[in-house]
Amino acid sequence: MATRRFPANFKSLALISDFVVDLAEKADFSANETYAIQTAVDEACSNIIDHAYGGENKGEIEVNVIQIRNGIQIVLRDEGEPFDPSDIPDPDITSPLETRKERGLGVFFMRNLMDKVIFEFSNRKGNTLTLVKYKGG
Amino acid sequence: MEFTTTEHKNCHVIAVSGRIDSYTSPKIEEELKSLFSEGHCNIVIDFSDVTYLSSSGMLVFINAEKKCRLKDQGRVLLSRVPPQILSSLKLAGFDQIFEITPDIPAAINRF
Repeated sequence: MATRRFPANFKSLALISDFVVDLAEKADFSANETYAIQTAVDEACSNIIDHAYGGENKGEIEVNVIQIRNGIQIVLRDEGEPFDPSDIPDPDITSPLETRKERGLGVFFMRNLMDKVIFEFSNRKGNTLTLVKYKGG
Repeated sequence: MEFTTTEHKNCHVIAVSGRIDSYTSPKIEEELKSLFSEGHCNIVIDFSDVTYLSSSGMLVFINAEKKCRLKDQGRVLLSRVPPQILSSLKLAGFDQIFEITPDIPAAINRF
């Protein structure tokens, strides 16, 4: 459907969301599903800035959105350090506030809101994160 | 993202509009710190015009609520939360931590 590159900084997050939300709406996702896609992409891009690049303005994030059968596939690419979300354990969402550790909440959202979260790294291409959401999934 | 803070008799209401994400959440964090430093720890967040809340935004409110409980002083109430944001809060288990009210008068009356 479309590919765009954005500077890897937090100011880009709203622009990336606008880009992805527009395409999800055009693909006839419901409002709830579109919000879920927005959340997963936003959390993934925040992690790329924080963890793959280690801070803002160290590179770019390429966002590629493709309509697939009964769904949408979003591929995020960056040239930062390897950052595999599957290495991050889920937070314990049932523990009391006083002892609760929040690390991993963004990745937890990605896993729970999308149907597929696939990470790949190559020295040549950097990090590639593929997010898939099916309608009604 | 923009916000307006209104002082009431026993609490402050912060009405936020737009996206609360990694870019904008530090601004809300600063406002909360500023209110806390002045001894204002009873806080209502009016979410009615919030279009998106990320995990970084949630953590700002969680950390504020943690501070309140550690000091045993005040708390953070969430009010008029749009359904999709409420779903995200529930997914993270935060509906068990925050008191969430359907309207602002109900929130103000809790203090």
